[in-house]
Amino acid sequence: MSNLPLAGLKIADFSWFGAGPICALHLATYGATVVRIESETRIDSLRTIAPMAKDKTGYNVSGYFNNFNAGKLDITLNLNTAQGLEIATQLVAWADVFLTNFTPRVVERWGLTYDKLAEINPRIIAAYQPMQGYDGPHRDYLGFGAVLTPITGYSHMSGFPQRKPVGLGTNYPDYVINPGHTLIAILAALRYRHRTGKGQRIECAQLESSVCPLGPAIFDYTANGRVQTRAGNGLPNAAPHNAFKCRPLSDAGRPMDERWVAIACFSDAEWQALVEAMGKPAWALDAKFSTLAARKTNEPELDAGVSAWTADKDAYDLMRDLQSSGVPAGVVQSARELLDVDEHLKARGYYAYLDHPETGRAAYDGPPFKLSKTPGALRSPAPQLGQHTEYVCKEILGLTDEQIADLLVEGVLA
Amino acid sequence: MTSGETPAALDDIRVLDLAGETGQYCTKLLADLGADVIKVEPPSGDPVRALPPYFQDDPNTSLYWLNLNTNKRSITLDISHPQAGPLFEKLLRTADVVVESFEPGHLDALGLGYAGLSRIRPDVILTSITGFGQWGPHARYKAPDIVGVAMGGVMWLAGEPEDPPNLPPWKQGYISASIIGAAGTLVALYHRDVTGEGQHVDVSMQESLSLNQETAMQTWDMIQALRCRNGSRGIIPIDIPGIGIYECTDGHVFGYLGTPGGAPWSAMLDWMIQESEAEDLTDEPHKSFIDNLNLRFLTGLFQEPAKLGEKIQIMSHIKQVLTRFVSRRSKWEMYEGGQGRRLLWGIVSTPQDIAENPQLTHRKWLADVHHPELGATLRYPGPPYRLSETPWAIRRRPPLAGEHNAELFGELRVSEDEWRALQAAGAV
Repeated sequence: MSNLPLAGLKIADFSWFGAGPICALHLATYGATVVRIESETRIDSLRTIAPMAKDKTGYNVSGYFNNFNAGKLDITLNLNTAQGLEIATQLVAWADVFLTNFTPRVVERWGLTYDKLAEINPRIIAAYQPMQGYDGPHRDYLGFGAVLTPITGYSHMSGFPQRKPVGLGTNYPDYVINPGHTLIAILAALRYRHRTGKGQRIECAQLESSVCPLGPAIFDYTANGRVQTRAGNGLPNAAPHNAFKCRPLSDAGRPMDERWVAIACFSDAEWQALVEAMGKPAWALDAKFSTLAARKTNEPELDAGVSAWTADKDAYDLMRDLQSSGVPAGVVQSARELLDVDEHLKARGYYAYLDHPETGRAAYDGPPFKLSKTPGALRSPAPQLGQHTEYVCKEILGLTDEQIADLLVEGVLA
Repeated sequence: MTSGETPAALDDIRVLDLAGETGQYCTKLLADLGADVIKVEPPSGDPVRALPPYFQDDPNTSLYWLNLNTNKRSITLDISHPQAGPLFEKLLRTADVVVESFEPGHLDALGLGYAGLSRIRPDVILTSITGFGQWGPHARYKAPDIVGVAMGGVMWLAGEPEDPPNLPPWKQGYISASIIGAAGTLVALYHRDVTGEGQHVDVSMQESLSLNQETAMQTWDMIQALRCRNGSRGIIPIDIPGIGIYECTDGHVFGYLGTPGGAPWSAMLDWMIQESEAEDLTDEPHKSFIDNLNLRFLTGLFQEPAKLGEKIQIMSHIKQVLTRFVSRRSKWEMYEGGQGRRLLWGIVSTPQDIAENPQLTHRKWLADVHHPELGATLRYPGPPYRLSETPWAIRRRPPLAGEHNAELFGELRVSEDEWRALQAAGAV
């Protein structure tokens, strides 16, 4: 595909789990050649975590792993062998970008620090995603998204005040925040190299990267000494601003059948439009809801009134009607609805369906942004473990069949 | 436009920032990497300047706005004013990138959509960051953050089953859209550098958020099971001792014991023994259970729920003893003590804990910026990444509205008469 904007760019992806592989995934989607280095001796745990394609087992059928690795070449390489490390250096010599989220200890043990890489390839851009950073008292602390969510403040800040800090239900910073920040740093460094010829070292400490999006709360503390805490679904400059329960999909009472709609009124005009849409009920015309300040003061009562109105209505009907009346509203969609119901995502073709030799046809997240002249594309499904070992050795590293056979026998390509 | 000798990665790039809240973190990222970001504000000032939290309760000093506008310059110009055209054109000719977040079609109506902009500056990159992207049936839906995180599948997964789905804190919809917007802008710049061709970057908040659903999308697609919000358990389907939230004397910690990378559960037991607080966990059947409590064992449990019954009581007892152990300690003691033993404990940080975190302090993450007109030095949130050759830096405090009007008119050679005429017409 000649119209991919990053065509020709070469990435050595020595990362695993979520934050690293997703960063390299986006580079592959826009045309970079990404070689993902794995090892049978230390399997990426994501390959072993559900969901697995129906009635399938093994390392190649996890939807968790596969969604983050489309479009990559995959080789298995044992970095705990001297020859494995030698091949790693050949990949570094080949690459424009080196990426890893292994711990500093492991990176140092393998000699994959920037100083060493720059000796092999002075133009390399080497991106490291340690949990806490390569220096400091917590340098060797362990973690990943699940632990990072509380450490970086998301758990304390989200949810309702009377509840324990539950977090966001996912390993949140792993999927957009940390891979996204790293991607931006890599692309900026590539631009700088394009101008100056200079490579550099990037450190995207996941602690720091994850904390940035909560900047306003940290700033409120450093500037005012105020310690913000979780405050439910409200915002100071909107009311109502919440999710409201709608008619369930069935009467079975199962969580999966719940339907909710988010409604937000920032201006009086939006509130008036909502009152109209509700059919001007007497309660809503009361002076205690006539201004934003009044609505904020009486928010629990306001929310109860809106809830009573939404309770027996279809969430999608509500969204459509409210949006056409100028009231911000959106269904609290589940994954089922994003995939199967959302007409807008379908029209834009956001999700891609790719045929994979072991999972069969499966859904993948598509390109995260649309470029008008050089749109990205998922060019192939996620690789099977070691699927391209031979191809990479031959076509990229220029090894002979004989050399490859020896490496296989010696357990280097494992 | 950087001062000083240290180069910045994007210091040859000029960005016109027309973005509202949805896209301001994007332009902050570009500005902090050294781009000359010129904020084009309406003459009444950017409405985001009015949003809390405020510095010392002064509604004229929004910390929220300041944080999103480091390193930018500001010009006040009403781009919809009929007389603003020539000045905006002059400005646009000097710009590489325009970032905006208006409702789709708004700029087209002003003749400033991609077609209009590229007539004036053929290689311009226009980055549009909106709730649902530039086209499609929902493109013109009103999309404040909560609508994005609702429609993007993120809210559905967050919160206790008894509560409404939770809103992620501090407008994560805008954050994801802005991060993806900055990445899209840089990919488009890469392409322009190689080919000379500009283009339109279309960013949808909803699409930007989708990956945050973790495994929910694939789980529905592959096995038609639906992940629903389940409190702090996340991906773990049942209650496991050492996984989840525990209360300390002064807050909470989160444990993820027995998962890969960290020390095994038995290291936790050793700690409890050392402190003489293991109670009867050194006896059977607890001891053997703890020795086996790792991810493989757990995976087995999940796959054979029939065998779970007998284990539930054991697990519940272990959890109670652990809960007592944690409840006698502070959150920092648990975090640092646990991590010192390579046990996966994480502190549930408050903003104060983050500001005082020894690691962030050691790395000088917070950045002091002097504001002469406030008579104060404010301590800003720091960098998401560190680049060795082109370091992140706050080179310039956020601008006052229109602070750089005169400076920019000078650079653009706008005569004093032209300026006064625009001012009289209410365009600047």
